[in-house]
Amino acid sequence: MHVIPLLFYGCAAGAYLAHFSRRDAAIGRLATGLLAAAILAHTFIIGMQTVQAGHAPLVGTTAAVSAFVWLLGLAYLYIELTTDERAMGVLVTALIAALYVIPAVDPTVSPRPAILQSPLFTIHVLAMLFAYASFALAFVVGVTYVALFTEIKAKHLGFFYARLPSLQVLDVMNGRVVTIGWVLLTIGIAAGGIWAAQLPPSSDPRAQAMGIQDPKIMVALVSWGVYTFALVARRAIGWNGRRAALLSALAFVIILLNFVPVGYFLTKSHNF
Amino acid sequence: VDAEPAVNAMTRLFAVGLSHRTAPVELRELVDFSRGGSAMALTSLAERGIGRELVVLSTCNRAEIYAVAGPDGPDIVGRFFADYHQLPLARLSEHLYVRRGPEAAHHLFRVAAGLDSLVVGEPQILGQVKAAYATASDNGYTSAITNRLFHSAFTVGKRVRSETGLAEGAVSVSYAAIALARKIFGALQGLHVVIIGAGGMAKLTGLHLKGQEVRQITITGRTLSSAERLAQALDGHAVPWSEMPGAVARADIVITATGSPEPVLTRSGLIDVLRPRRQRPLFIIDIAVPRDVEPNVGDLEQVFLYNIDDLQGIVKENLGRRSVELERAEAIVQEEVAKFTSWLQARDIIPTVVALREQFEAIRQAELARLEPKLSGLPPEARTRVEEITRLLIEKLLLAPTEQLKSVRDEAMVAAYADAVRQLFKLSEDASAPGRKPANVATLRRE
Repeated sequence: MHVIPLLFYGCAAGAYLAHFSRRDAAIGRLATGLLAAAILAHTFIIGMQTVQAGHAPLVGTTAAVSAFVWLLGLAYLYIELTTDERAMGVLVTALIAALYVIPAVDPTVSPRPAILQSPLFTIHVLAMLFAYASFALAFVVGVTYVALFTEIKAKHLGFFYARLPSLQVLDVMNGRVVTIGWVLLTIGIAAGGIWAAQLPPSSDPRAQAMGIQDPKIMVALVSWGVYTFALVARRAIGWNGRRAALLSALAFVIILLNFVPVGYFLTKSHNF
Repeated sequence: VDAEPAVNAMTRLFAVGLSHRTAPVELRELVDFSRGGSAMALTSLAERGIGRELVVLSTCNRAEIYAVAGPDGPDIVGRFFADYHQLPLARLSEHLYVRRGPEAAHHLFRVAAGLDSLVVGEPQILGQVKAAYATASDNGYTSAITNRLFHSAFTVGKRVRSETGLAEGAVSVSYAAIALARKIFGALQGLHVVIIGAGGMAKLTGLHLKGQEVRQITITGRTLSSAERLAQALDGHAVPWSEMPGAVARADIVITATGSPEPVLTRSGLIDVLRPRRQRPLFIIDIAVPRDVEPNVGDLEQVFLYNIDDLQGIVKENLGRRSVELERAEAIVQEEVAKFTSWLQARDIIPTVVALREQFEAIRQAELARLEPKLSGLPPEARTRVEEITRLLIEKLLLAPTEQLKSVRDEAMVAAYADAVRQLFKLSEDASAPGRKPANVATLRRE
């Protein structure tokens, strides 16, 4: 069943790439349509899973990746429709299509353990995933900023120059999405912390592993530190433009590492 | 009759030069005839025995010499380029181009129309061509061919400006820079622009930016009064030269267009000035030649430095959109080149035509003298009538051949016709040799 959204996401990524290289408005509209169709199909799957399991499919890394992809697609679509700016779609949809391979390969919905039946858990997961989606957008904006910056600086105006919005617009976008992401990340970490603190003593090894020494939690805190620095540096020492762009790109790499490899292989606290 | 070699006007006219198309800015900075006045360059070149038809066109994007001389003319001028600027000829020669006859006219007409400019269609160049001609003319270095050549060039410039849309929209270096500014800053409305220098280029750039409704324009120059004049024209405000660093610190866009031989913005000077700005981007447009900004200023992280050459990239982008207007402008150039070429070719046949007429006139006079005893008995009115009839007869006989000769377009044909006429009518070698100054050109030129 996951094959249908994967197909749409893949086609959307291809269409965005074609639009980016050829700048054909019709292909651009097709790309947006394909992405919307992919999100719709994906929504249907999440809805079905919710009905089947009796709860939102947020348990386990695979479900989280699926939800993350869905949120990112929605957030991007919102930005595209409000700004009429399609250039970033090529990177966003590539990332989405690549990540969606994970839920497509393993579509099983994990049952929800008793300890996760808390509104704090739901807030934690949703806030974290929304934060990650924001940071993904910041990453894409940052990468395009650096590409355009490099072109203008090197005086070889060409590919990106013709396709991307101005550096100023990209920088403002980057600042906004990092701020939104940071707020959500803070809420997510706080909700997770409170939830972990009020857990009744139990024999569940995962609950016992909840602590700063767990790689997943540690890296999440590190990334919170990096984004906090990015925001403070932007306001206090003028780290905007290229430095902010590079920082948000680097920070998202940390997020992505935490999300997938750490989430699957290293963490002892988050392997639900 | 002078002793110039028998080369026809078609190839005697030539242009030697270098421009932004053939030479990098580093070299163009060194080749500048306007330094010390182009009159001095004219005098200096004339001393090399190259004739008296010389025009020196020297702008920040080109240095060209138009001349009428013998076959070795281009070599003499090429060596002059090197000697005058104390450069080895070997360094220059690969950047120098030579255009002869109609090609020289074609080149000049394109230059005057702004078609050969860095920013195609920019209007300043026509004024610069006019000034170059005026200097040559005032110093007595123009004559029939150069006069005609440059007046035709002015016609081309005016026609391209009025008959095509080339001069509207993207017309100058500054306009090209605005597109770049948009890519860096997005909207230009909130920006602070600082213009360093108060000359013509600075004014033009300022006018373009004023049209973009930037927030504030500050002008500074070494002479405050001219900065103030420009400020008035741009609704900006002038600050003294000493406050230039402070103005740059507050600027988003800095345009430098001074005539200073030394850089006015150096890397070491800017580092301190820019520190309080943190990472706020600064776009520096250096439209001066020699450059006003040290090239390594562009290495500073928040600085985008573009000089006049760099703007070519944007120009090319604009070119695509204006290809239709370009075609029309090129057609005007071709049309005027054709007119000029036929005029030039007609000049080659002129000595032959003159010689032919002189021959006929001599025959007429000889016949009248021979018949003098018989004619002397006629009343004065009848004698006048005889004069008139014989003169008209010659005019009528020569009308068709003259027209035909003057309409010959092909260079080889001109020579062939001249040769045929000379042999058929046994004209003296000397009288019909092309290059000989015709005795009564004025009566033959109908334009």
